[in-house]
Amino acid sequence: MSYRVIAHTADTGIEASGTTIEELFVNAARGMFSLMYEPADITMEPLPVRATGATVEDLLVDWLSELLFVSESKEVAFSRFAVLDLSHGTLSGEASGVPYGSARLSGPPIKAVTYHQLELAETDEGWHARVIFDV
Amino acid sequence: MDLKKLREAVWEIPRRGGMVVPGRVYGAGELLESAREDQAMKQVVNVAHLPGIVTASMAMPDIHWGYGFPIGGVAATEVGEGGVVSPGGVGFDICCGVRLLGSGFSQGEFEAHREAVMGELDQRIPRGLGKGAIARRGLLNEVLERGAAAAVDAGYGSEPDLERCEESGTSAGSNPGAISSRAIERGGGQLGSLGAGNHFLEVQVVDSIWDAEAAEVYGLTEGMICVMIHCGSRGLGHQTCTDQLKLMG
Repeated sequence: MSYRVIAHTADTGIEASGTTIEELFVNAARGMFSLMYEPADITMEPLPVRATGATVEDLLVDWLSELLFVSESKEVAFSRFAVLDLSHGTLSGEASGVPYGSARLSGPPIKAVTYHQLELAETDEGWHARVIFDV
Repeated sequence: MDLKKLREAVWEIPRRGGMVVPGRVYGAGELLESAREDQAMKQVVNVAHLPGIVTASMAMPDIHWGYGFPIGGVAATEVGEGGVVSPGGVGFDICCGVRLLGSGFSQGEFEAHREAVMGELDQRIPRGLGKGAIARRGLLNEVLERGAAAAVDAGYGSEPDLERCEESGTSAGSNPGAISSRAIERGGGQLGSLGAGNHFLEVQVVDSIWDAEAAEVYGLTEGMICVMIHCGSRGLGHQTCTDQLKLMG
C-alpha cells in the first residue's frame, strides 16, 4: 500500500514511503485522498498540478496543498496521481478521479496540509514521510 | 505538569525556560484532568514560547491535543514585539465557530411540526462536499469587506443579529484585495453553505438552566428549541491560510 493512516486526537495524518522520491509523493497523495474518498474507477482525464518549494519538505506540502486546491476548485475526488517531473524545487504532475457527485466519502474533507510534525527523509529502502492534515 | 491555582477554575503554568509568558488554564474537574492526560498542556507551554506573545498562553475549559496550538488555545501577539498574525494557529478555518439560535418555540410546539421543519431544513441547508452557495456570487466581495452587515442587507439576517456578533460581525480595516484569486476560486461558490466534516446544524432543546441570570440575558428558557450551528470559512479560508503560510515561509 505504501502509506498508512496515523491516528490523531483532533486531526489526521499519514505516513508514506516510496523507493524513489517521485513514488513517495504519489503515495503521499494517495494516502491523503484515501482519507476522504473510497476508491473509484477513474472517469475523467488527468488534470495538471504544479508545485514549488524551497526544500523537499516544502515541495511535498505544496504538492499536497495544490492537489487539495484543484480537487475542491474543480470538484473532483482524486485517486490516481503521477509525478511527471521533480527537479530544482518544482514539481509537474497530474491527478485524475471522479466528479464529486460520483464520489463516495470515507472521511471528513481535509482543509489543509500542515507543517506539524512533518517528516521527510531518505532511508535505506528509499524515502519516508509523515504529514498531518487539518480536518 | 504542575499547575498553580490562581482562583476557582483558573490555573497558571508558571514561566520557565524559553516561555515568554505563563500559561493560563481555565478549567476544573474532569475537563482539567482530561487536558492533562492528552498532553494538551504541553502545547499550552509551547505556545507560550511564541515571539511577541502577550499576557499568557490561554487554554479554554475544553482544550485538547491539536497541532501546534491545542484546540481551545488562545493567544494574542504584539506585532511590534516580533509577533505575527498567525494564519492558522488552531486550524486553517478562519473564524470557525459555534452559534446558538434561540427559536422562542417550546419543544411541544416544535414537535407538532417536527417533520415539516426538519424537512425544510434538509431542503434549505446546503451541506457536504461541493459548492452549495445560497447567495449570488457578487455578494462574496461585499461580505469580505463588510462581513455580516452585507448578509443582513441582502436579506440573510436582521439588524439585531449584528448586535450579537463580535465587532457587529465586521472586522475593521479588512481588505478583500488581499485575498488571493485562488482562494476566491476555491471557496467562492460556497457562501452560506455548511460544509462537511465536523460542521453541523443541530436542532436542540434547552434541557435545564444552570445559570438563571445568563439564561435571561441570552433569552433562553427551559424547554426552548434552539438551533446550534458549527461552521467556518470553508475553502476560501482554508486557501487563504495556506497561501499566507507559504508567503510567511
